[in-house]
Amino acid sequence: MKKRLLAYIALLGALVFSQCRQLDLEPKGIMGEPELFGTEYGVKMYFTGLYNWLPIEDFQYYANDGYRKNDWGTEKNSQGAMSGEYFNTWISVDNDGFGYWPYDRIREVNNFIQSFPNYKDKFPDETFNKLMGEAHFLRAYFYFGMAKRYGGVPIVTEVQDPLASSEVLNVSRNTEYDTWKFIHDDLQFAIDNMLSDTKETGRANKYVAAALMSRAMLYAGSVAKYTESLGFKATELATQQGLAGMEPSQANEFFEYAVAAGKVVETGPYSLYNKLEDKATNFARLFLDDSSPETIFLKEYNRNSPRGNALQHNYDALMSPAPDMSSFVGAESFVPLDFMELYDMPAYTNPDGTPVRFDSRGDIRDGMEPRARGTMYLDGDELRGKTFSIQRGIYRTFDGVATDIQRGVNSAPINSNGNRILGGKGWTTEINGVTYTITGAHGNFEDQGGENNAFGSAFIRKYINPDMATADVRDWRSDQSWVVFRLGEVYLNTAEALYELGKREEAFDYIAKIRERAGAKVVRPAIDMTMTNIGSINKANYTYSLEKSLQFIRDERARELYAENHWWWDIRRWRTADQILNNFRQRLLSCYYVADEGKYIYLDEDNRFNRQWNASKSCYYEPIPWGEIGKNNNLLPQNPLY
Amino acid sequence: MKKLIIYSILGVMLLSVTSCYKADNWDAPSARIHGRVIDSYTGENLLSSQNDWSIRIWERSWTASEPTNQNLPVKQDGSYNNSKLFAGTYDMLPYGGPFWPVTDTVKNVTLNGTTEQEFTVTPYLQLLDFETHLEGTNLFMSCRLKAPIRTGLPNLVEIKPFLSLTTFCGAGANSNIDIGEYSNKRIQINKSWQDEVGDSETSNVYTIGPLPVKAGYTYYVRLGANVNDANRKYNYTEIVRVDVPR
Repeated sequence: MKKRLLAYIALLGALVFSQCRQLDLEPKGIMGEPELFGTEYGVKMYFTGLYNWLPIEDFQYYANDGYRKNDWGTEKNSQGAMSGEYFNTWISVDNDGFGYWPYDRIREVNNFIQSFPNYKDKFPDETFNKLMGEAHFLRAYFYFGMAKRYGGVPIVTEVQDPLASSEVLNVSRNTEYDTWKFIHDDLQFAIDNMLSDTKETGRANKYVAAALMSRAMLYAGSVAKYTESLGFKATELATQQGLAGMEPSQANEFFEYAVAAGKVVETGPYSLYNKLEDKATNFARLFLDDSSPETIFLKEYNRNSPRGNALQHNYDALMSPAPDMSSFVGAESFVPLDFMELYDMPAYTNPDGTPVRFDSRGDIRDGMEPRARGTMYLDGDELRGKTFSIQRGIYRTFDGVATDIQRGVNSAPINSNGNRILGGKGWTTEINGVTYTITGAHGNFEDQGGENNAFGSAFIRKYINPDMATADVRDWRSDQSWVVFRLGEVYLNTAEALYELGKREEAFDYIAKIRERAGAKVVRPAIDMTMTNIGSINKANYTYSLEKSLQFIRDERARELYAENHWWWDIRRWRTADQILNNFRQRLLSCYYVADEGKYIYLDEDNRFNRQWNASKSCYYEPIPWGEIGKNNNLLPQNPLY
Repeated sequence: MKKLIIYSILGVMLLSVTSCYKADNWDAPSARIHGRVIDSYTGENLLSSQNDWSIRIWERSWTASEPTNQNLPVKQDGSYNNSKLFAGTYDMLPYGGPFWPVTDTVKNVTLNGTTEQEFTVTPYLQLLDFETHLEGTNLFMSCRLKAPIRTGLPNLVEIKPFLSLTTFCGAGANSNIDIGEYSNKRIQINKSWQDEVGDSETSNVYTIGPLPVKAGYTYYVRLGANVNDANRKYNYTEIVRVDVPR
């Protein structure tokens, strides 16, 4: 018995120890470098994470709080709401940003660029070069996200050893010029090494790299040309050292890069979207058709993917009015008159100053530029089986000129003594025995806040998916792709860069293509070289003068790219943001019924919340995150005005 | 049983309170710095608005890393005061206000107890001959601009009216009635002094109005003008009280 027990113990011991012979086993559930970098599919997996974090200001970009926010309210806090592109009561300009500092992602790219050559023999040259090019594209995109915020940042191209001495780890900032040149060089590498295969729309190729180059170099050129007008040089160390700002003499180099990049894109298989006869619907469809020949690069969403990975969004639920067209909290972003009137508009005021009388509210759409109608929904338009109905109130009689309303204040005589009737949702009034509903079904309600309450006369149409049923329009149900780059934008980039280089006629060749597709009345306006310092939005008084036709090109961007998260970056790089957003009190176009005539009028009013936007000159550069400076004093000096 | 619970709860509470009893090992900051910002032309305090700009200070007795600046906001009367600073040596610089950039940082000011430090600055602009008058419930304000130094003067930006219902008036925090009826009446210039005024040191009279005011109210009003330097802060007129008759 005893012997047997001993034998058992010995056997057990042998078993236990024999199992421990190999402790250093490769874990089977984790992929290492050979699996990821050794096959094309592995590299794709490695890149997917990086693509997810590219600094793309899309549906899930929370203007003052970061990318892929994964928050149901993100679309309310969009960049358009922050910058005054929308009437929206939620947020305003926050110069401090959110500390964007993606050196973790850049390290992942650098890790690839450093180690991938070890696997060169596993790939045909073409594939190896293509993947190497893609890595450079990704790195350039992250640097672009920083350069437009901070100017010069440290250029790190190596995988730093975390145990290295602090002299090595505490990198200094490079100049802004060097940073943009670095972005250019990375993208040039990507263009030279990637292929022209455009099958995967969510993945970069040669033309995607060129499109990013076009956008980034235009940004750099404008920074170089216009930073001088800010007057930072006198007092700001960061500008004196070239960390925040460049010299006007450096501008043309970048404008030329932008033009060259645009020409590369034009060699690709792209054309302006022109599939539908009706130009307004055509313009709206361009953003919903994933097979659009205009699209160069998409960020795709998928509503059936697991929640929590930021692959669904709420755009429809937060841009369409509830309950008729949304089953969630509904719309809160509206188009102010300041942007509406950039497009061709029918006259709503007669030459003698009296308001034009319309037979129906929807008549305001007649004579409006088709592109404008593809960008916004107006009274009479249909969505998800319902018709938009937007009216602010009723005038018993209106026997004066439009300016008699004194921008809509209650104290104006024509608005007093019950002549102007405003009301809440569903309220009615009786005039001479006839009962009228005071407002439209979708606003403007005096008893409600900003939600589902058309301030002005238009809701956003761009990117709205009309094919969803209202019951389905809820949080996290939208999955239309975000069009990151499209040919229309590249044309506008090229046009602006050409004009800055003095090639005016060539610039307007591109503008004409855009305006032709838009259905604008004048496709190719004559070039006007008169100098002006007055902008269009808010009649801003710029601190420098420019040719009127250049201002026209800038306005063309505002028209074509409205609600695509470009405008804020545009007014930043033009260095006009602090003048455009200088007491920018949006004007709203309000519709009234004139009871004694049975007609409708449209009036230019101030918004009821006295909502306004302001930006100071500190908005042109965000501060280098203070926490990073705390860790690394070599990042000083801090950016201007902080 | 009940008593036991009560006592043990009391005991735990007593313990939790006494555990917090030990005082902080660092004294609360108690050094005070105060002073005036003087207009070099008038010798008086610079006409300012509440918290419109600040004096930057850097604590140099902290050597573990590069100190980041702290800001001492300048008050409407052109003075500043902070009595909750750590004792030590500081560098000080009036920064970002409506005056020619001050390049001489005042180095190594020792803070211990109460310290007074004055600064003299040279404003970009002076606003002269400030006048107000009422026509019914419409207010008009006028002034002339004077630029004693015109070489290198950044472009004029605007002349803006400020109206307030309290004695705090200006572009600073909560110091004006910010409505379109007023701000739309600002005169936007955006020209160089030479283009706008010419060779003269003093401009013609600018009049701003009509600004609608309410009968029976008391307003505190002033004008501000700024130039296109990095900060675009305003030089002001003095504040005038306007009583609108009932």
